[in-house]
Amino acid sequence: MKQVCLVCVNVDCKSRGSEEIKKELEKRVAEKGLSDNWEVRPYICFGACQDGPNIVLHPEKSWYAGVKMEDLDDITDHLAGGPDVKRLDKIDTSLKELIYQLLDTGVY
Amino acid sequence: MAGILFPSGTVGSRKGLKEYRSGEGYAALAKTLKDLTPQQVVQKISESGLRGRGGAGFPTGKKWAITAECADQTRYLILNGGEDEPGSKKDRLLMEFLPHLVLEGVILASYAVGAAKAYLYINAQYQNAIQSMTDALAEAKADHYWGERIFGTDFSLEISVIPAPSNYVAGEDSAALEVIENKKPLPRQKPPFPATAGLFGKPTVVNNVETLANVPVIILKGSAWYKTFGTAESPGTMIFSLNEEVNRPGIYELPFGTPLRFLIEECGGGVKGAKEIKAVQPGGPSSAFLTPDKLDIPLDHNSLRAAGSSIGCGAVHLVAKGSCIVEELVRIADFFAAESCGQCPACRMETNMLAAILKKVQRGEGGPPLLDQFNKVISFNKGKGFCALINMPGPPIESALRLFHSDFDSHLDHGHCPGN
Repeated sequence: MKQVCLVCVNVDCKSRGSEEIKKELEKRVAEKGLSDNWEVRPYICFGACQDGPNIVLHPEKSWYAGVKMEDLDDITDHLAGGPDVKRLDKIDTSLKELIYQLLDTGVY
Repeated sequence: MAGILFPSGTVGSRKGLKEYRSGEGYAALAKTLKDLTPQQVVQKISESGLRGRGGAGFPTGKKWAITAECADQTRYLILNGGEDEPGSKKDRLLMEFLPHLVLEGVILASYAVGAAKAYLYINAQYQNAIQSMTDALAEAKADHYWGERIFGTDFSLEISVIPAPSNYVAGEDSAALEVIENKKPLPRQKPPFPATAGLFGKPTVVNNVETLANVPVIILKGSAWYKTFGTAESPGTMIFSLNEEVNRPGIYELPFGTPLRFLIEECGGGVKGAKEIKAVQPGGPSSAFLTPDKLDIPLDHNSLRAAGSSIGCGAVHLVAKGSCIVEELVRIADFFAAESCGQCPACRMETNMLAAILKKVQRGEGGPPLLDQFNKVISFNKGKGFCALINMPGPPIESALRLFHSDFDSHLDHGHCPGN
């Protein structure tokens, strides 16, 4: 089953460079031949604006916050089956649970 | 029906200074400056039980007392005419047709709280209202109702008109302060409340247009007279707005406690096409839906709260039988998502998320677990914003789930509205 890599592109994350991050991630997913397993999609707000740019992997349930261009090597490695990028896992559990439930019900 | 603000029961034509004075115009101001201290004015308004007509229903006398008792001697008064509630038009019409009544209320309130400067903050799209108030200011200034040493007393008052941006949050009281300070219309974190630390950090009273229009008559005729209208907890009258759903759209001033049915049937002439009513939102888009068995409910703060809804600013919305509540909710959720100013992450997430969930329901994508997400999103975000907008999409959605569950089921099961 194809997984989705949701990149928030709402005002706050966008002002912190999320659109460029999304484009670069799309490029790397294509280059590394991960397109059969991963689709990069825009998303409007996970409610963690102050910690953006935010990327959430679904249905895997990983949340990367404060993502910078230099983090994309590790994130792409993870999408290819490498280890989780634990240093970017900074979000409060209750917000994560809410968002993961919403994604599980198909709201994306 | 005769009202307090509109004694003839209808809006009529604009009352200029001459017409206003031929009644009892500016008599309350003359009486006040001759006989009453500012504290006595605050006392009279407190005794009258006047409550704010902008939506929250906060006791006006209490708000004034908080500002009047601040040690800081620089204080401000703001007339909040930033009305942008869908379906509400009462403030616009008051400013257009009874500008001197509104202005006299502004001057009396400024005297009561010790403000030497007042701002008339008016929705920029209300060009006629801005013109009417600007004309009234000029007429009243020429006759010394405001300016330096009014009626030869020590009370001086400057008044300016400030156009308000035409978006929903710009009508929020602290967003008005930001605009007057020449900043973007974004609500402030509270506390502190404007009453103690408002415009330029000084104690500031922000009052709705209809609220201030009630002040002159209370001063002139007294609290006891005023309280003969309405209910014990909600004295006086309220101006309700009815829109295109009824045969006679318009504004109707009714004593608090008047049954909802009277407003809809006697004033509005019933729903167009003689359709039956499916649901009513009595207080604008943020109020919970009521079912037709509640049509005899008295229109006052406590009765509507007890029924799980709210009176808001009296913009009554009717949903006719045959209409779908899911479609109504999509419109409401889109409105709040568009009007959220975006500065509070929780509000941004909530309003967007609720709109997204509703659209999935509307398209019939997903099963019943989707419906459980509404309450989770609403309760997670409750009270997490700077202003009340974050709490606004909840009541209509939660009440609709409770009262019109079959409309949601129809969308989820068949991908369309019931009956289609």
